[in-house]
Amino acid sequence: MTNNKLTVSHAPFWHDGDSLFKMNLNILLALLPAALFGFIQFGAPALGVVALSISTAMIWELIMNLMAKKPLTIGDLDSAVIGMIFGIMLPATAPWWLVVVGTFVAVIIGKMIFGGIGANPFNPALIGMSFLMLSWKVMFDFDAAYVNYDFGFTALAPLAALKSQGAAAVTDLFPTGNLIMGQQVGAIGSTFGVGIILGGIYLILRGYIRWEISLSFILGIIITSFGFNMANPEVYGGPAIHLFSGYTLLGAFFLATENSSSPVNKIPMFIYGFSAAVMIILMRNVGVYADGTVLAILLLNLVNPIIDTIRPKALGKAGNNA
Amino acid sequence: MIKRSFFSLTPQRLVYDLPEPDLKEPESIPLPASLSILLSEAIDSTKQTLLKKGDTVKKGEKLRLYDDSTAYTISPVAGTIKLFDSYSDDFGKIATFIVIKPDKNPASEADTIKLDTIEDIKFADKFLRKLPGAPPFGILANDDIKIKTIVITCADTDLLSTTSQFIGLMYTDEIKAGAKILKAMTQVPKICIAIPEALSTRANFDSIQVIKTSNLYPSTLPAMIMKDHLNMILPAGKTPEDMGVCFIRAEALVSLARVFQTKEAVFDKILTIISKNGTRFRVHATIGTPLSNIFTQFNLHVNERDRIIVGGPMRGFATFTPHQPVRPDMDTIIIQDRDIIPQLSDYPCVNCGNCIRICPANIPVNLLVRYLEADQYEEAADRFDLGSCIECGLCAYVCTARIPLYQYIRLGKHELLTLRADA
Repeated sequence: MTNNKLTVSHAPFWHDGDSLFKMNLNILLALLPAALFGFIQFGAPALGVVALSISTAMIWELIMNLMAKKPLTIGDLDSAVIGMIFGIMLPATAPWWLVVVGTFVAVIIGKMIFGGIGANPFNPALIGMSFLMLSWKVMFDFDAAYVNYDFGFTALAPLAALKSQGAAAVTDLFPTGNLIMGQQVGAIGSTFGVGIILGGIYLILRGYIRWEISLSFILGIIITSFGFNMANPEVYGGPAIHLFSGYTLLGAFFLATENSSSPVNKIPMFIYGFSAAVMIILMRNVGVYADGTVLAILLLNLVNPIIDTIRPKALGKAGNNA
Repeated sequence: MIKRSFFSLTPQRLVYDLPEPDLKEPESIPLPASLSILLSEAIDSTKQTLLKKGDTVKKGEKLRLYDDSTAYTISPVAGTIKLFDSYSDDFGKIATFIVIKPDKNPASEADTIKLDTIEDIKFADKFLRKLPGAPPFGILANDDIKIKTIVITCADTDLLSTTSQFIGLMYTDEIKAGAKILKAMTQVPKICIAIPEALSTRANFDSIQVIKTSNLYPSTLPAMIMKDHLNMILPAGKTPEDMGVCFIRAEALVSLARVFQTKEAVFDKILTIISKNGTRFRVHATIGTPLSNIFTQFNLHVNERDRIIVGGPMRGFATFTPHQPVRPDMDTIIIQDRDIIPQLSDYPCVNCGNCIRICPANIPVNLLVRYLEADQYEEAADRFDLGSCIECGLCAYVCTARIPLYQYIRLGKHELLTLRADA
């Protein structure tokens, strides 16, 4: 044992065993119930869209790694998560080029050019999604997308119907039970409320997303939509339709909680989640978009660095936090 | 190694270990063929040193490099100086190590220096700084620092370590005697003793005020004891001494009591060795004994790429050689198998917030690390509370991206001190 080379490093010599790979694997796992339901509901095209989305997202990161002559980082599964979230936010009928362009924007412009994982100021999947929504608006008309499908329920996108016809006309079309159980038209992974909630609760219990953001987000949706609904029940939908349709639940558990674009301190997390939800309802009820989730969360990503400066005073630090 | 629990809605709770219920006297390690001791002064090549290769030294003899040196060390044996050379620690601080070959025969009375013990702090600073337990006599004897409270720590500051608690239980009477001598020396009005809650029922320190520390890491670190029990918040960038609080190991008091009893310096250091499978061996070894001698005695093998940790798993340091000598401030030696050494990464912070939730000092570690990575030390201290860190290592323990956060922080503090010293 005299001349053995020992491992020398700095303390601590223990680690709790967590890693980015494990974290992202768990997020993928949590997304599975919602995604699987989408595959069953919308058939093989849905599987095709999600598979293409995940694979192209990873390939874009690989290409970027190679071009920048940086170590290959796709092994951490971060772009797989981006691809997965991006894929299940698309309609099952999305053409292949839409997926490829979308993941390009999401991974390259949303993440890699800022410096890769952890450096993105916005949620990458939402960058890609907003790009597509502004460029090819017609692709996100869910009523048109599923025109050839024969569902056993009202084949109308709830939020679009709510926007055009008003709450009084559509409330009976969409019983809350149906919305929660996925009996609605929407993106691949956004329709099955129970699955998304289960996935979200799993991640919260495992400590991979911050419950403060999800909880305040959902509270924000309920309180704001309830307020509008009370003011004019003829026009504005109640909390149930807002919460269980569109991207709302995905937003609460998977979009708003994206690590590097959301705050980490207690009070900022509540402000962030709540304000994002308020913005969503404002966009839906006052703005022009049927579903404002994507843009509302991007907007809050933008103010995240400012609200995250509200933090407890460090031990032994005098004066105000700069 | 304590792993993350499956459900982790709340931050991980790390708990201090307790010593075994049946305490036994530690095993003795025979005197090795050569001992190395450290002298915290660099060799100045332009000056003639007092030490020479081949000099004979007595047991308890004070060794200095130059006539005007304030730093000294004490030879733990009677023998011959084989060599002395420069040593640089992990932050590049230069010191001198001295290798002494003990005489074959056990030291006779004539080879041992007797001390004329007086209860005076100047005396203690002059002769007793290198006692086992590394008593902070340099601080106590400094007239510029007004110490009002002395805290004797029978609570280990790191996980897995139980040496201080063991000493607290085994040598209670000597601690009490040592505390009495210390009180007479320093005239400090308040002396208290920190003992883990779970242990306090088994130890009896009648006259000394007892502080009961919780079993949750990092409640026994100086800053946390001050905050929880002394009602003092340690200001960022200050040391407990600046606030008039001095922490002293229980072992230092045991040594002090023995010095006054035997009238000569003592060199028996109590250590706990933790093997790869978690078995604890308690030993006493002479200061300067290479760790490899201790490992051989217990038949412990250290393989290529294993890690030898001096101190605990959260705050210790890894030594590069199994011949690392026993030093007065060592408590616990851990041998970590190469298969369980966690991998670190050079990933950037992903802002997951685990460090924020676990940090006992409320430091925005996620922002701090970005500045430390970019060498912006002044900015890190001014805006992101670098100075508030109590050095518990929890942030790096929970880091999802496996960034060596504690290393960045230690380095940042070190660089900042250098920067400010140069300015």
